[in-house]
Amino acid sequence: MENVLITGAASGIGRAAAQRLARRMHVIIVDRNGDGAAALAAELKRDGFMASAIEVDVSSGLSVRRMMVRIDGEIGPVHALFNNAGFNRRGRVDTITEDDWDAMMGTHVKGMYLCAQAVLPQMCERGAGAIVNTSSDFAVMGVAGIATYTAAKTAIYSLTKSLALEFAPHGIRVNAIGPGPIDTPLLRSGRAPGEEDAALAQQRARVPMGRLGKPEEVAAVVDFLLGERSSYITGQIIHPNGGALSW
Amino acid sequence: MKPHDPNRADKGSPKYTRPSGVRLDPPSALRRPLHRISWLLARTGGPFAPEHRVGACMAQNAIKRAVVVTGAGSGIGFALTRRLLDDGYPVSAWDVSAGELAGANHPLLTFYNIDVRDKPAMNRAAAETVARAGSIGGLVTCAAVFKAMPFLALDETTWDTTFGVNLKGTMLACQAVLPTMRQQGGGAIVLFSSSLARAGAVHGAHYAATKGGVLGFARSLALEVAAENIRVNVVSPGITDTPQPRGNMTDAEIFARADHIPLRRIGLPNDMADAVLFLLNDDASFVTGQDIRVNGGAGLF
Repeated sequence: MENVLITGAASGIGRAAAQRLARRMHVIIVDRNGDGAAALAAELKRDGFMASAIEVDVSSGLSVRRMMVRIDGEIGPVHALFNNAGFNRRGRVDTITEDDWDAMMGTHVKGMYLCAQAVLPQMCERGAGAIVNTSSDFAVMGVAGIATYTAAKTAIYSLTKSLALEFAPHGIRVNAIGPGPIDTPLLRSGRAPGEEDAALAQQRARVPMGRLGKPEEVAAVVDFLLGERSSYITGQIIHPNGGALSW
Repeated sequence: MKPHDPNRADKGSPKYTRPSGVRLDPPSALRRPLHRISWLLARTGGPFAPEHRVGACMAQNAIKRAVVVTGAGSGIGFALTRRLLDDGYPVSAWDVSAGELAGANHPLLTFYNIDVRDKPAMNRAAAETVARAGSIGGLVTCAAVFKAMPFLALDETTWDTTFGVNLKGTMLACQAVLPTMRQQGGGAIVLFSSSLARAGAVHGAHYAATKGGVLGFARSLALEVAAENIRVNVVSPGITDTPQPRGNMTDAEIFARADHIPLRRIGLPNDMADAVLFLLNDDASFVTGQDIRVNGGAGLF
């Protein structure tokens, strides 16, 4: 059975992707929330699937190297990678701190670079592999109040295209997903409970399909992009966004 | 196994090499329908493992809804028709000529001799399809013509034919099935554009213009029907191993394009069928208004 490494897998889209991909792969559940990762792995194993959990901070090279030592020793090769770890923090650019910026770029962009770099050599050796990166439909639109987040998501899209070109000759495909408003903890994060309903209604209003997406609907797209059904698709971004953005 | 050697990145293909002497068309001795299936499968590595299809059909607990395919007689439309039939979808196949479907006999397949510029004929075929299959769950518009021509030599007839089939035909086919989809509370439409819509094409201004038109049309229609649970998406192929490019290029020219494609091969009809099946089924339930570019990574922008 092939192994898929999923970062940010303890909640939201990562969690749904782990549950979906467990149907056909051994899922390596990676999250900085080690307890959440372990709980999901236990749940999947109880249901008869193959799963492992590792606590990792993807923005730390040391943490990612430790992860790879464990994977090499206890699990085996990584056939597919879903770079999904992310978070949101609101704040106008004139008020955010340097630490805010570094944290945002660290988890989203550097984390993606570190994890891709960790698995690409072995994928090159096999001449096969698939990577999916979680961008956002904000990668191609501006949004007031979350400039660092949109910048990180655009960087992810750009990294995706260049990695796709760089590793296509080795038979490795690299694509991105650009979700719209999905009903996950991230969508609610950074908002006071009182603001939540209004904010969610506002998000819903910008979706032509008239509803928020479900994490499972994004996971289905990830499954498509990591599998043989998309064997001629690379460097692309697919937006499960209910029509919120077409470009 | 191929060693990891970045210096070899631009030399040859790790995944796809066409052995010299391999025929590009099925030999005439294999032109009977059953052999064509095995020919297609042999060229594309066969169907997917069953686990890839888990949870992946339009109506999982019911009889599958019919799919209308325009341009079903050849190329991508034909490959898609085969795949839909294999997956158990009733197919209403529309084309000006039966082409590869000539003589095909499949309980789920109905062929209609239709020019997509003929609105009454499409409306009749749609009504018949509903009467026969109970509903129409999907529409895929593959019908298109492309006669390469220098722009200054382009005559009005070629312009009108290209726009009539590629763009107006696409619009009319949507009009033929949308009332049914609306009535039944949902559906999925996939329109074929082309990588040339964005990249442009020397001697193909008229064709690229129609395919660019498909993009704008698809997005607008997607917005208009999204609230009714009807999804409209686009597939934009790069150069694909079908009869269409052979109208304007030699086989050698067609396959030489692989050198300029990051994945080092040209597209296969089944690559496009994979994308269409994804967009038709529930895996894409939150995907609408999107353009899936199945092009091996050529021209990322």
